[in-house]
Amino acid sequence: MTEKPIVQIKNLSKTIGKKNIIKNLSLDLYKGQITGFLGPNGAGKTTTIRMMVGLMRPTEGEVFIDGQSIQSNFEESIQKVGVIVENPEMYKYMTGYKNLLHFSRMHKGISKKRIDEVVQQVGMQNRINEKVSSYSLGMRQRLGLAQALLHDPKFLILDEPTNGLDPAGIREFRMYLQKVARENGVAVFVSSHLLSEIELLCDRIAVIQNGELIDIKNVKELHVSRYYIHAEPNELALEVLSGAGFPVTAHDKGYLIDTESQHIPGAVNMLVSAGAKIYAVQPHRATLEDQFLEMTGGGQIAETHSK
Amino acid sequence: MLKLIQNEWMKLWSKKSSWIMAALLVVILFASMGITKWVNSSMMANQEETWQEVATNQQTNAEAMLQDPNLSDPQKEYYEGQAAIAEYRLANEVPAFEYASMQQQVIDAHMMLSLVTLFTVIVAAGIVASEFSQGTIKMLLTRPVKRWKILTSKYITTMIYAILLSILTIAVSALAGLIFFGIGDGTFLVWNGSEVVEGSYWMEALKMAGLSFASVWIIGTFAFMLGTVFRSSSLAIGLSIFLMFTGIQAVYLLANYEIVKYYLFTHTDLTQFYTGFMPVPDITMTMSLIVLAVYFLIFMAVSYWTFSRRDVTA
Repeated sequence: MTEKPIVQIKNLSKTIGKKNIIKNLSLDLYKGQITGFLGPNGAGKTTTIRMMVGLMRPTEGEVFIDGQSIQSNFEESIQKVGVIVENPEMYKYMTGYKNLLHFSRMHKGISKKRIDEVVQQVGMQNRINEKVSSYSLGMRQRLGLAQALLHDPKFLILDEPTNGLDPAGIREFRMYLQKVARENGVAVFVSSHLLSEIELLCDRIAVIQNGELIDIKNVKELHVSRYYIHAEPNELALEVLSGAGFPVTAHDKGYLIDTESQHIPGAVNMLVSAGAKIYAVQPHRATLEDQFLEMTGGGQIAETHSK
Repeated sequence: MLKLIQNEWMKLWSKKSSWIMAALLVVILFASMGITKWVNSSMMANQEETWQEVATNQQTNAEAMLQDPNLSDPQKEYYEGQAAIAEYRLANEVPAFEYASMQQQVIDAHMMLSLVTLFTVIVAAGIVASEFSQGTIKMLLTRPVKRWKILTSKYITTMIYAILLSILTIAVSALAGLIFFGIGDGTFLVWNGSEVVEGSYWMEALKMAGLSFASVWIIGTFAFMLGTVFRSSSLAIGLSIFLMFTGIQAVYLLANYEIVKYYLFTHTDLTQFYTGFMPVPDITMTMSLIVLAVYFLIFMAVSYWTFSRRDVTA
């Protein structure tokens, strides 16, 4: 991509005690793009995000927002960032409106009109004057989004934003983020361990494991066209399919072949004319989960680290 | 900075506890005044001293104290003044305010500032710690405002709250005094070093309250530091209040050692230079102010250093 990145993470490292939590992590984020940040628990997602917003100091490396360093030029750079770290914790004893007023006073030039505008945008106009303690988690999440959007940031960073939301809430949240990214040209960075969620939401995913960035992929690339074919006898099917030049892997009772849909009728014809009995031919969609487990060496996701 | 203080002020008064503490202060002041009146009226029946008898006693007491060769300068000045005032009263027939008068209650209002210290400690300990315990610190520190500015706004807000409660204490004491005792006869006299002159009891009340406020201020600052360092308001409140009570006792334990002169609680009560009651006699006002300033700077330095460097993991 020739476009200038909005966010540049350069050689970020964090050492706590003798433990290297983050090892030399570099990543660029672009305008209008939603990047998912995936990793097993304890891989360093939260630590990375906290360093990106100035809550933690990196041991080495720097984070640049629109060309300015978070570490040495905090006030100018953070102005362009909207942050939701985990469940947005608000002042529960105040109304939603007062919370927004509170945060708006910490930025330059946010008018009351802008607050009302954002309240409309997240659809909270009916309940904004109630205390936050009376809000459901979904409402709080919306208020969290409102506070992150108040100052019209160029970059939105979210740490586990869908934690505790119900499916409807997650869907609504997803639509909203995609809209913001597309219409306002905001770069979005979302960490999560909910793989299916990331798959639906993001354009690109970055995978972190043990503090190291192990892969960056576009979500489109992940959808390789693959078909599952079950034909008996098995040996015959293997012979025919690999003889025809398809990449074949064993799967379940039959085989998986990587190919486009237009080659399927031909493959079926060959199998039939070779005398094989066909039981199933179906598109096979590898989930992000399979690929994630493949990338991280499997099993790791279940490993529990204390946070 | 003004906007940040405005924010802190809004958050402070959105909490019920701030209102409860202010209300409690009013209730306690009224109740204590009521009890004073009740005790006073039941004692009246048995014995009533005339103001002349009180003044005579004061004079003989003060003269007896002045015989003590170990008396420090501020104490000596105090007792000389007391003796001179009492003599003047007797010679010119000028009675002092009765204890049961609004004026005397206003002059004594500064004694109730220990309550303000207590409430200030609660606010000071919680104003930073609660941001951590609620998790709102993440929201607060990811704004285009440097951390030291946020801490400063919190400190100033705490002190404004303390000043407000102190003013409330004097105002409520005056009101309750007026309701329970009414305006009494008498004249307030001061010894200016060479002669006895008439003084304003309001000025006296403000002077004493101002001096007592030093203790509110330094203990509040201490609690603020603990809340910032430990991020736990209960620990900070507990420790500050514990030290507030035991700290003053420790002055007596340490009284014979040189170190007592550098000990914080030897200096927290600045009214001691005007009441003659000094556990460590050979200190001066200047010395106390310097010691308090040094402690203040240390408390502040520790607060700012930890707050602006800390990795937020809450």
